[in-house]
Amino acid sequence: MKKSSGILAITTAAFILTSAFAGCGGSSTSGSSASSDRQSGAFDTAKTISVITRESGSGTRDAFVELTGVLEKNGENESDNTYSGAVTVNSTEAVITNVKGNDAAVGYISLGSLNDSVKSVNVDGVEATADNVKSGDYKISRPFNIAYKELKGVAEDFVDFILSSDGQAVVTKEGYVSTSENPAFKSKMPNGKITVSGSSSVSPVMEKLVEAYKAINSGAEIELLTTDSSSGMAAAMEGTCDIGMASRELKDEEADALKSTVIAKDGIAVIVNNSNTVSDLTLEQIKSIFTGETTEWSGVIE
Amino acid sequence: MSSGKIKETLMRGVFFLTAITSIAAVVLICVFLLINGVPAIGEIGFFDFVGGQKWAPTNVPASYGIFPMIIGSIYVTGGAVIIGVPIGLLTAVFLARFCPPALYKIIKPATELLAGIPSIVYGFFGLMVIVPFVRDSFGGDGSSLLAASIVLGIMILPTIIGTAEAAIRAVPESYYEGSLALGATRERSVFRAVLPAAKSGVLAGVVLGIGRAIGETMAVILVAGNQVNIPTSLTQGVRTLTANIVMEMGYATGLHRSALIATGVVLFVFILIITLSMQAIKSRGEKNG
Repeated sequence: MKKSSGILAITTAAFILTSAFAGCGGSSTSGSSASSDRQSGAFDTAKTISVITRESGSGTRDAFVELTGVLEKNGENESDNTYSGAVTVNSTEAVITNVKGNDAAVGYISLGSLNDSVKSVNVDGVEATADNVKSGDYKISRPFNIAYKELKGVAEDFVDFILSSDGQAVVTKEGYVSTSENPAFKSKMPNGKITVSGSSSVSPVMEKLVEAYKAINSGAEIELLTTDSSSGMAAAMEGTCDIGMASRELKDEEADALKSTVIAKDGIAVIVNNSNTVSDLTLEQIKSIFTGETTEWSGVIE
Repeated sequence: MSSGKIKETLMRGVFFLTAITSIAAVVLICVFLLINGVPAIGEIGFFDFVGGQKWAPTNVPASYGIFPMIIGSIYVTGGAVIIGVPIGLLTAVFLARFCPPALYKIIKPATELLAGIPSIVYGFFGLMVIVPFVRDSFGGDGSSLLAASIVLGIMILPTIIGTAEAAIRAVPESYYEGSLALGATRERSVFRAVLPAAKSGVLAGVVLGIGRAIGETMAVILVAGNQVNIPTSLTQGVRTLTANIVMEMGYATGLHRSALIATGVVLFVFILIITLSMQAIKSRGEKNG
């Protein structure tokens, strides 16, 4: 008797569970056709594009929306028109995981983080490679700038190091594209303390550069403050830091007050699932996908 | 004063200090939230902040409307309750009244183990198993309100099962026996006599579960999609208040940062309401019992 009541309770629980799922299925509006399409092995272009984006404030997102035109500028006003239905994640790894697991997904990551688990598409016919970023042929790339009023002592020696072949080797090792062809570094061994401040996109590579420089010149003390590009430029103009970092081109008023040098370039790769047949997108098409105008892969694949 | 008395006074002081610590922590958190969050709400405007539909902190001019996130948190929590409460409640009834002792030794520790799994593991499980399941079965991105509800529904099970089982066990056996004596079946006695008597304890479990669901962050962020829009179907993504804070805190500066802390203030108000209703249920239960 006791056993049979137990079984009854289990069945009731199971019934409620299944009916809960069935209820969910019934009320979901967007098509159940996706499940039937999945069985065919080939990539199905009728699929709705799953757009994966980064969170607001991310340096990668800032650069991507600006370079692709998703960010609309109207005088003083700026409006990020990223598709409101885009899945938002807060790390490069999460973008890769999402694109890897969903054959209809598209996302973007820093070129340095690209691996075989996803496929990068050509932009305007140009492959996303370090060489094409360096030459400027690959459109979606951004410079890592440092800016300063004047360089002396440790600051001058440190910038020499960054632009030397030793410094640029650090840049390449971190997955970015080197920009300078200067010879090997010879330190003048100055003593002193400087402050470097600015973009959170530049600061990981700057941290490695500082480490490498301190190994050569132990008399130097370099403080690294991570804020954002605009704060970094403002600090350099006010003189509260010796070197400012920006992960974008300098604005006019910043360029007037400061001298700047590109220390590295970073490409942003547009990535899709390995099973996706798309290999080439124009900048226009990328913009239209990320603003939600094109919602199906058939819109960009013939 | 004898040494015994000195010891006693000293220890009383120690106990008092430890008691004060938790209160001090609550007070400090309140003060921190209010000092940092309230001015931001003032600057943005209360109705633009709480009722605004657009969250675009990087736009110029920026918009800081958290209404979609408030709705998102409520939807996700509601979904978790719809999935978690029936399963949790019936499991509790089974454990308390019908479970053979041999099976109890397996099920009870299993539900307790469920409580000990870190939330990021739930999130990863959701991302790898539930998100593809939702995508293949119902369409959409997979990262959705439905996926988040399922994951949270599982996460609140141990809370509900534990509290509800204790409440059902606390009902005097005479209720059950009296019902049986009147000719009711065992199931009927449990569902019509025992369960209503345990109502306040069961409700307390549900409210605790709601508190857990609304505050959950790491699991939700991986499976919810985090879009800032009010979902119109179960397969669309949502962003919860907690997800909004944790996603953007790393980069935020100035008013953006303050707006995120203010989001915390709104969340805090939600938790306050839940805790107060919990107290109300408890005191009502004591009065009736």
